Amino acid sequence: MKKLLASALFVLIGLFIVDRLGGMVMWWVNQHTYDVSGPKIKYLVGEVHEDVVMMGTSRCDVHYVPSIIRDALGMSVYNGGINASDNIYAHYIMLNHILARHVPKIICLEVMTNDFTEQEDPFNTISFFAPYFGKNEGADSVFRLAGKYWIYRISHLYRYNAKATSNIAGLVINRHKGGDNGYIPVPKPAHFPKALKHSPTPQATDSLKIEYVNRFVSLCKKKGVKLIFTVAPEYTKVDSDHYDVLKGIAKQYGIPFMDYHTAGLYHDHPEYFKDCLHLWDKGARLYSSVFAHDLKKILEEETN
Amino acid sequence: MLFNSISFLLFFPIVCLVCFCIPASQIRIRNLWLLACSYYFYMNWEPAYALLLLTSTVVTYLAALGIGHYREKAGRKACLVASLVLNLAILFLFKYYNFLASNIEALLGATGLGIDLPEFGLLLPVGISFYIFQALGYSIDVYRGTTQVERHFPTYALFVSFFPQLVAGPIERSNNLLPQFKQQHRFDYDSAMAGVRLMVWGYFMKLVLADRCGIFVDAVFNNVSQHNGGSYLVASLLFPFQIYGDFAGYSLIAIGVARVLGFRLMENFRRPYFACSIGEFWHRWHISLSTWFRDYVYIPLGGNRVGRMRNYFNLFVTFVVSGIWHGANWTFFCWGSLHGLLLCIEKALGIGKQKYSGWRKFCHWAVTFVLVCLAWILFRANSLSDAVTVATGIFTKPGMPKPEYANFIAIALAMTILLAKELSDEYQWGIRVAESRHWLVRHIYLVMMIVYIILFGVLGGDQFIYFQF
Repeated sequence: MKKLLASALFVLIGLFIVDRLGGMVMWWVNQHTYDVSGPKIKYLVGEVHEDVVMMGTSRCDVHYVPSIIRDALGMSVYNGGINASDNIYAHYIMLNHILARHVPKIICLEVMTNDFTEQEDPFNTISFFAPYFGKNEGADSVFRLAGKYWIYRISHLYRYNAKATSNIAGLVINRHKGGDNGYIPVPKPAHFPKALKHSPTPQATDSLKIEYVNRFVSLCKKKGVKLIFTVAPEYTKVDSDHYDVLKGIAKQYGIPFMDYHTAGLYHDHPEYFKDCLHLWDKGARLYSSVFAHDLKKILEEETN
Repeated sequence: MLFNSISFLLFFPIVCLVCFCIPASQIRIRNLWLLACSYYFYMNWEPAYALLLLTSTVVTYLAALGIGHYREKAGRKACLVASLVLNLAILFLFKYYNFLASNIEALLGATGLGIDLPEFGLLLPVGISFYIFQALGYSIDVYRGTTQVERHFPTYALFVSFFPQLVAGPIERSNNLLPQFKQQHRFDYDSAMAGVRLMVWGYFMKLVLADRCGIFVDAVFNNVSQHNGGSYLVASLLFPFQIYGDFAGYSLIAIGVARVLGFRLMENFRRPYFACSIGEFWHRWHISLSTWFRDYVYIPLGGNRVGRMRNYFNLFVTFVVSGIWHGANWTFFCWGSLHGLLLCIEKALGIGKQKYSGWRKFCHWAVTFVLVCLAWILFRANSLSDAVTVATGIFTKPGMPKPEYANFIAIALAMTILLAKELSDEYQWGIRVAESRHWLVRHIYLVMMIVYIILFGVLGGDQFIYFQF
């Protein structure tokens, strides 16, 4: 039994030491990586100072060209779309981090049906933000909700589990070459989408997600940030308005809702799309001009 | 309860602690504790299905008592047949009925006789094929007189439901495991630590290798129309490692868990991808199942003590049955048939009888590996048409795969570690890190492996592939 205790003690102490040292090393890696999302999250948490911040998933990441929007609005713009960040829980974490040190004038949230409908594993991608665990109570509350709070508290190394290889590879391969304030252009694809397909019918509404949409809105209102919901073009058929639930919330709070998908923008231009959900650089630049023009109009109308 | 869940990491130490607090001489009390734990473990999936486990246990227990009771062959045979029929009926109802009914409907529909057969709406109970085969093996062994009748019901129930190997094997033999439930097991430090090391290696294979490969493989095979030949090729090369890491990983954890408790389960995998023939592959892959089929299907059919053609037939039928054992789908039928066919061809050509070396060995290994990989496409595809799309698409839909490069770095790293260990074991290079003579090296290995799993493992609690069988 003494032998077993000695072994258990050695393994536990060894794990504790390596976990803490490894946590420090991985923090350094995370802060110096040039993988897809690491530098953007780092910038949003600690450096963002722009007037307009675009938020959302990959559909935000590849659709909004900050320099085009900046030129139209006369305000600085940062594209803070985090690839695969998936839903409102991730956006809420990010918003808490941003507002902790900087209050942008405008936040445009690119919404998706994932932001208010049921998913099999809705907390799957919040682990992207785990390296910043313990630095913001509002963000940590989502980890608590997801049941991951204690495991992140205990293991510093586990906080890097979701992105460890990506972070390490990002030390050697720079994925941000040719970037424009957070926007990374998507190259021309080999094939364009062939035909408009039906987009899947959204799942049932998730009341907890709706609560977090409301929290997101309240936090922006509390800090005096003008919030705008946007839906970029999709190359899918429009059978019904998939965003009616969010439009209801937007109406309730007086939030502008810029829905280019339901409007069918670029349905006659498959050559702008990389796939059904994403425009490539050419489409993104054209769309950014349209978006910037419409946004400017909304802002001017509100000022008048 | 999954081995890769937080609840198991809490459950297992409690099981061990209580088990070793019960004096070793109180074997029956210990067995009762392990039996309760095993049922608790199983009931974590669906409590009602424990009744099926109990039914199979009771049926085979009573059948064995009957076989032991009757002296004349007819009575003994009747008991065995009753056990076989009842157990296989349970298996058929839960696993094969819907498949058969839908095929009969389709067949009759094609001839213009449209009928609607009732559908059986219950989910497939976890591990049903494993525990039913283990229980049936016991019935047959008792009938053959190669094992003694177990009259103490809790001990027998523990043999059928022993939690480390209950849901995905190894499919244990009564003459290996049952006697161990009658022995005193004192806590043994060396055995426990060896068990922990096996568990850690099993977790590595499952969480770092299999589940990482699974991210890409599942994306391709669950949506074949959206991918190109390059992706098909990469997915087809990764799936063999996914299923190996998943299943061998589970077996190692099971063997390790049992070893900590003082039990020795049979080896289930012996570096299968080093095989130089399909026959050798089956001596290294899922050993507990292939030996089960050898002893209870192939040999009773006549084995190789028959004419050449009949021998081929026996071999083919055994592998078709083995394919169907894996699941009610034509893909598994074809996978089993393909392996049966390849084995018949090997036998006809005399391949695998002699030991190869040098380039001849390399060629045999390469051909075997490619054939096994091709057969795995059938195993993994969701339908036969998907399998054909993938297999032909490798050559007809040229294109670069679209992998997430970071995931591939993790896979490459895990494969390198696996290859180093397997080469060392296969060729007995004598590099022993996990089993080093030095206490410090063994313990540093444990710490580093756990850290590696924490950092690079896919820790979302994914199911093991073989649970569905």
